[in-house]
Amino acid sequence: MASDWNDIPDEEFRSTFRAWVDQNCPAQLRYMRKQRPLFNEVAEWYHALAAKGWLAPTWPRQYGGMGLSAAKHMIYVEEWGRLGCPRIPDHGIGLVGPLLIEYGSEEQKAHYLPRILSGEHVWCQGYSEPNAGSDLASLQTSAVLDGDEFVVNGQKIWTTLAHCANWIFVLVRTERDAKVRQKGITVLLLDLTSPGVRVRPIANLRGEADFCEVFFDNVRVPLKNLVGKVNEGWTVAKSVLGHERIFLGAPTRPEYALERLRRLADARGAFEDPAFLSRFARLRLDLYDLGSAFERYAKVLRAGGELGADVSALKIVTTELYQRITEEMLTVAAEEARLADDLAAGDIEIDAMNLFLDSRSPAIFGGSNEIQRNILAKAVLRLPG
Amino acid sequence: MPELMLDDPDGTLVMLRDSVTGFAARFPGAKAMRERRGRGGTMDPLIWSAMAEAGWIGLLLPEECGGAGLGLREQAVLSEALGRALIAEPTGTASVFAATLLGGASPGVERSRLAAGVASGEVVAVPAWTSGAKPVVARSVNGRIVLSGETRFVDAARAATDFLVAAQDADGVMLLSVAANADGVAISERAGVDGSAIATISFSDCAVPADRMLSRANRSEDLLRQAILHTRLALAAELTGVASKALELTIAYASDRVQFGKPIGSFQAIQHRLVDMWIEAEFAAAAVVNAVDALRGDDDDAAELAVLAAKARAGEAAFSICRRAVHLHGAMGYTDECDIGLYLKRTINLNAMLGQPEQLRLEFVERESGYRRGRI
Repeated sequence: MASDWNDIPDEEFRSTFRAWVDQNCPAQLRYMRKQRPLFNEVAEWYHALAAKGWLAPTWPRQYGGMGLSAAKHMIYVEEWGRLGCPRIPDHGIGLVGPLLIEYGSEEQKAHYLPRILSGEHVWCQGYSEPNAGSDLASLQTSAVLDGDEFVVNGQKIWTTLAHCANWIFVLVRTERDAKVRQKGITVLLLDLTSPGVRVRPIANLRGEADFCEVFFDNVRVPLKNLVGKVNEGWTVAKSVLGHERIFLGAPTRPEYALERLRRLADARGAFEDPAFLSRFARLRLDLYDLGSAFERYAKVLRAGGELGADVSALKIVTTELYQRITEEMLTVAAEEARLADDLAAGDIEIDAMNLFLDSRSPAIFGGSNEIQRNILAKAVLRLPG
Repeated sequence: MPELMLDDPDGTLVMLRDSVTGFAARFPGAKAMRERRGRGGTMDPLIWSAMAEAGWIGLLLPEECGGAGLGLREQAVLSEALGRALIAEPTGTASVFAATLLGGASPGVERSRLAAGVASGEVVAVPAWTSGAKPVVARSVNGRIVLSGETRFVDAARAATDFLVAAQDADGVMLLSVAANADGVAISERAGVDGSAIATISFSDCAVPADRMLSRANRSEDLLRQAILHTRLALAAELTGVASKALELTIAYASDRVQFGKPIGSFQAIQHRLVDMWIEAEFAAAAVVNAVDALRGDDDDAAELAVLAAKARAGEAAFSICRRAVHLHGAMGYTDECDIGLYLKRTINLNAMLGQPEQLRLEFVERESGYRRGRI
């Protein structure tokens, strides 16, 4: 094993990674229709990555990660996508790990990190509440210290994959009268098998249950499960995503959708319609230019720089482009757009409706596009408040 | 504000940007545009020769021709900076297009004279190659080349000392230079939207000495294609600069202008529009950088695609940004006195040159995948 992945030239790293992944990611898991498979559906792939030591690309090597630089991590993610590998339940790898490595105690790191790698702990993220979505700081789920335990009451919602998780890292309110609402929020690690926890999956527009409601009724959480300091969880919660924010803007989804549109349009003879050709050309160029814009930020990371708030531009464009492409698929499908199931296009099936419905969500999640615009207005354009 | 992000190891690019800033202090762009309009659209020779003196007009010409011998990276940064400063001179045509043609023309006395003159500013060599109703045809008569026909959309025709003309003969297209004051050359001008004059040049049995031939058939098509490629890139960069500056002015205005007791830039409806404009400008800059990078590689097809995308994106972005910029300036934006309208008009002119976004996008998908209109 290499002493440091970052010392290997990019192309060599790419081919090494790619070759192994291509050989070891099970064929039946490639190009899954499901965007968010459950843990047991992809466990084989998860454990294979863990055994190889390639499950946690950005964790430092001392914690069992690969310690990849942002540049190498981008290659990792690109190849993963290019080979059609499924998304694994990655809240532990992507969020809890980095959070603990940054803010956790030595005991917490020693206890939780290996259990993430082994798959014993599957994590979900308890942020949003029914009345705290875009306005996350208004969250009300409470934790009251009682001896050496917190007592948690309240409800989380839109908790992705909570129904296959056994742990949740949860934002709770520990101080109601704080002058600034961001004060008084605390991060707890909570065992979902504790008494008083109830998880209810929510069906989405595609008829799948990616996300859940999680209810807490006098759930007791040991004081040692506190991350960082009481009432200072907002900083902890906000700091989790670093260079990973670029991936919210990766052109992967629209790329895939445009290829599907092309196949459908070919099969339906749509390219003979000049009006379609004109619309297609616009979508194609929007995607091409998204690639150029992505590269602009990737260059910053490769040069060892850090991303600013401006990277949100990618998230807005990629999610809205994804929507426009899938809307065009329904136009091309003509009356067949009434159908729920896939459309035949030559020798393949095109999941037009599946993609159309799926494309509704990325513009909402991860900070809705309107919130992203608010952030850009303030942080980049410096507009008055 | 968005700008081209390119490596600049020896500081050349910063120097170029700084020199344009200094130049704009001497020759403010908006003022020059208004004065040109007052003169009926003729170029200010003082400005053009100062640009030549700065080394900008011959920037792409090889050093042995009297040029600066710089490349498209530098040209892109220069054009962007000129766009930002609204220095609305015919840089795309009378510098980039002309220099690319001359740089690749057959070596000879005429080419040397033109190239050195373009670089020094003593010669204003204006490309005249877009066919009008009657394409320009060349005949050979007594060892001279005799031209008939007309060519359209020629910039700075009355300031030109020479026209770089594409003419059809039996073998294909030849490129030659024609003295602007030659017998048989007639210039008819129309007012351009940004105050420049745009001419149709008619040649009636215009006899040109044979030694004014710059390239023969076969080579000429390649040269024209290359000149179009380089000029599209320069126009895309210039449009990016115009867009970025128009956005900057609009953000400043919205932050300043108070209504309902608050700056209008504090309202979410305005903020989101400005953010969308900023994203467009950001993408335009990224598309131009992508084209600059592609042109340095050895894949010609990839470079052609990248340039098509860059000109389409920058044109679309600049037009969209400037339209909205006028609107966000309110009634002030609709006045001639407010500069923002000049950015819009300059954009319309540049955007319409060498392909509007729609045309460029269709060309892109045809080149890339063979999709084209009327394909059955």
